[in-house]
Amino acid sequence: MATVKLQLDPRTAIPGTANGAQHTVFDGTNFPVPALAFDGGSADEAVYFLFKAINYGSGNLTLTIDWYADTASTGNVVWGAQVAAITPNIDTQDIEAKAFAAANTQQDAHLGTIAQRLHSVDLVISNLDSIAADDWVALHLFRDASDTVNDTLAGDALVVMLTLSYSDT
Amino acid sequence: MAVLSDEKRIEAWERLMRDNRDVIAINKNELREAVNAIDQFLENNAATINNAFPAAAKNGLSAGQKALVVAYVALNRYGVI
Repeated sequence: MATVKLQLDPRTAIPGTANGAQHTVFDGTNFPVPALAFDGGSADEAVYFLFKAINYGSGNLTLTIDWYADTASTGNVVWGAQVAAITPNIDTQDIEAKAFAAANTQQDAHLGTIAQRLHSVDLVISNLDSIAADDWVALHLFRDASDTVNDTLAGDALVVMLTLSYSDT
Repeated sequence: MAVLSDEKRIEAWERLMRDNRDVIAINKNELREAVNAIDQFLENNAATINNAFPAAAKNGLSAGQKALVVAYVALNRYGVI
């Protein structure tokens, strides 16, 4: 039994046609920092990733989100994710009309002191859309900014890396 | 003039979060409450602010131009621009 890990580079994300999170690159002091910027306003901004569930065995998917705040030094951000899985040659579903399984969400609190410190949070995706080994999968990642009761971080939340993990048995 | 509509207050709040480049130590709900409070303050004190303008400006500038004077003076006073 092993854990498969897929790194999802933010630069490979496809922004939503409506309320798409923004591709951006910040000039760091010593190196550039590419990121996906999710606004804190009233819209749930989103991106999509497409991947193959190589050697998927069973169980939930864990999406590890590495993020930092643009300006906030307090507050919570609520991340959401959902998947749509298609088994090639078996599923007859129209790929362009495929629907997502229900979303899972995970809240993460800013740890304070330095606004732009790096945070990491695990979002467990338990609504799996009957995912099977080597399925073609669309992943929808969004910031649940309209949930102002729980998502309280002012300004942008910036995603710099995503890691998707699952068991191969 | 009435206070801003909820939609306009949201627009101002989102714009603030987008334009702010400094570390902000309050959460976005507290920032929204600040927008609401200042909108209400301006509503309550519009006449006082208008009367603070010298007669020529008070009578010669449009409401929008006077709003810009208030905004630019405040932004300069606190080193924003």
